[in-house]
Amino acid sequence: MAPETGQTASRSSSGAAALLSRREPVAYAAALLVLAATYYIGARVGLTLSLVEQNVTPLWPPTGIAVAAFLLGGRRLWPAVTLAAFAVNLPISATLVAAAVTAVGNTLAPLVAVVLLDRVGFRRQLDRHRDALSIVFLGALASMTVSATVGAGTLAASDAITTDQLPSAWAVWWTGDAMGVLAVAPFLLCLPLFGELPDWSPARWLEGASILVLAAGTTAWAASSDVQMLFLVLPLLGWAAWRLQLRGAAPAALVVSLVVTWSAAREHGPFAHGTLFEQMFTLQSFNACVALTSLFLAALVSERNRSAAELAGAASELEDRVQRRTAELSAANQRLLQEIHERSEAQEQLSQEEARTRREHEIAATLQRSLLPDRIPQVPGVAVAARYVPATGDMSVGGDWYDVIQLPDGAVGLAIGDVAGHGLSAAATMGQVRMALRAYAVQDPSPVAVMTGVHHLVSNLPTSVMVTVTYLVLDPGTRTLRFTNAGHPPPLLFGGGESTYLEDGLSPPLGVTPDPTFTEVTHEVPAGATLVLYTDGLVERRRVSIQEGLDRLVVESAGREGSDVDVLCDHLLTALVDRDNVADDIALVAVRPAAPVDGPLELVLPAESRMLVQARRALRQWLRDSGVTAEDEGDVLLASGEACANVVRHAYAAAPGEMRLHATLHGDDLEVTVIDTGQWRAPADRGGGWGLQLMQGLMDDVDVDRTARGTVVRMRRRLRGGTA
Amino acid sequence: MSELARVEPLPQDGSADHTVVLSVTGEIDLSNAEQVRDAIGAALPVEAAVLVVDLSGTQYLDSAGIAMLFRLAERLGWSRQELHLVVPPDAPIRAAIRITHLDTVITVHDALA
Repeated sequence: MAPETGQTASRSSSGAAALLSRREPVAYAAALLVLAATYYIGARVGLTLSLVEQNVTPLWPPTGIAVAAFLLGGRRLWPAVTLAAFAVNLPISATLVAAAVTAVGNTLAPLVAVVLLDRVGFRRQLDRHRDALSIVFLGALASMTVSATVGAGTLAASDAITTDQLPSAWAVWWTGDAMGVLAVAPFLLCLPLFGELPDWSPARWLEGASILVLAAGTTAWAASSDVQMLFLVLPLLGWAAWRLQLRGAAPAALVVSLVVTWSAAREHGPFAHGTLFEQMFTLQSFNACVALTSLFLAALVSERNRSAAELAGAASELEDRVQRRTAELSAANQRLLQEIHERSEAQEQLSQEEARTRREHEIAATLQRSLLPDRIPQVPGVAVAARYVPATGDMSVGGDWYDVIQLPDGAVGLAIGDVAGHGLSAAATMGQVRMALRAYAVQDPSPVAVMTGVHHLVSNLPTSVMVTVTYLVLDPGTRTLRFTNAGHPPPLLFGGGESTYLEDGLSPPLGVTPDPTFTEVTHEVPAGATLVLYTDGLVERRRVSIQEGLDRLVVESAGREGSDVDVLCDHLLTALVDRDNVADDIALVAVRPAAPVDGPLELVLPAESRMLVQARRALRQWLRDSGVTAEDEGDVLLASGEACANVVRHAYAAAPGEMRLHATLHGDDLEVTVIDTGQWRAPADRGGGWGLQLMQGLMDDVDVDRTARGTVVRMRRRLRGGTA
Repeated sequence: MSELARVEPLPQDGSADHTVVLSVTGEIDLSNAEQVRDAIGAALPVEAAVLVVDLSGTQYLDSAGIAMLFRLAERLGWSRQELHLVVPPDAPIRAAIRITHLDTVITVHDALA
């Protein structure tokens, strides 16, 4: 509020300065003329108020006019004051020189006043109590000593008064000029405020007018009354100052001062008695009270209003700020909520994605597991152990697989391979390849035929894929190994102090060349030797060359031809793989044809018709290894086969069971025992009659012992051809 | 090699149009006897008067196989067709044929004529 007022004031004063600038001499001249005229009129009014014949004037308005004019229009208006003062003083001065000197004094006093006021930073709005103090003590009382001294001095010098009269003349001059300033200057200074400050409402105007009338009336009545009632005016001045500040108080004070001074000049009421000095003293005291009361009160109220307005402004600004801050906070809060919401959404999305990834991994792992053989078929004459170790990484379920296929002719098909890539699709492709390989192997187990079939399947997959695979056929009877290898790490054959990687029979991986040529190679598996099949995960590790892995496999397997194949697999995994950090899937198969028996034969097989050939093969191998001749071999095989077939046919109903074949040879006495744990059903009519007939015809002695816990068929034969 | 036993027609001289010769190689047991019978039946034209099954290459023949051959002979008899077997004297299956007296029902030759 205050700065605003200040701005308005400075704008208005600079406007006035512009108006009166030298670049507009006409306006300057006009201002001079108006000031001179006003000064002169003010002087004429002042003279009518003189207590003693135009000499002792208790209120000299021109001084106030000059001070106000200099404050409003600038000090360069002084010529108007000098000229007007000269004009006023000429008729009442003794000489021309006296009039000129007096005029100079009358000009100097307001100039000094304005200079002093400028020094102390006086504001013509008179809205601070220091402005009131400034104009009273500097603008009026101090400055007017100049005009009083010059004027009274001139009077004495020109012999208009005696030296004795000088002090009282000085005092009258001084008080007159000071009162002129105090009464008139505020009034003049308040006039521009009507344009600068907010306009009064009609009610205000009415109030202002009422105060003026009441003040004038009260003063006029009190001043004409013998009773001392002049103090009654003071509440009115307080009212004016309180309600309207300078714009109400200054006019009221002027009116009151004028009326009272006029009354004093006419010696009415309180001024009817007493000496000139008493009259003068009373009047000036009253006028001083009026001026001080109205000025100070107006200034104080202005200040208070401004403070209140500033306080209100500050309060409203504070409120604004609080509201702004609140809005900011609530916006920030909103943003925060939004962010939290977005973050939780992202979190949810992430966990959904995570769940999807985990789910896919689970599916791939399940698929992988389900696609691998759930059990290794029992192949007579061959010990087989297999391991599959999934990678420990999250999505690293791979396309590694192995398979052990029991072939119809009693041989065993072995496959180990790797579908390039990881995850669901690799596992799924692996499943297809594995099943296809099984199907081809059963149809025609020849390695080249099987590999050609798998090659066609891989070539016709919707997505191109690379597959490495080794396919082998092992005949346990002859211990011959036939195989072909499509880009897979070579099988290891070890035993008897030797280790060999079977690196022949190699062709590129499947899915790489359109028309590959597969070659079949045949190896003899020495008695007691072990074949190790594996995928690259076993020998390939980060920062370790494959050759190093292959060498380690040789070292770790060497000398272990005596240990069980299951124990061998576990040892190899423990020695070569960090179980907690498996980078790639590992498939591992260890195969060992049974060593020539040096004792009884023990066979335990599922009681299924397709197992009969396996039983015969194992028994044939045992008989041959035991040195039994071909003639005896055929008869024993048939008799034993019949016993086994009977188990398959009769021992078990729907539930699967086992058949056990036990053979011993003591000298030339051969005993074969076939045992089941089932309950025999009535013999079916499928050649049933001939089974026992054949056994009895082929063996020397056949003993069938049927109990509730199963049946034992014991057959003995003295070998015709002896043993080799 | 694809099966435990394989049934194949043998080429003829052309002198006996009414005779069909099939050879069975491999092993015949409970697990594949019926398949072998079906294979023989499928390979036998209805107009053939005589079927010769050469078992020279058969390594194993159990009671289920014997029963199958009996039934085959019986079935062919209904259609006025004859079944002959060829089993060398030193064949491992000769004992089974002897013990079950199969040779009393079906003509068994030591060798192809």
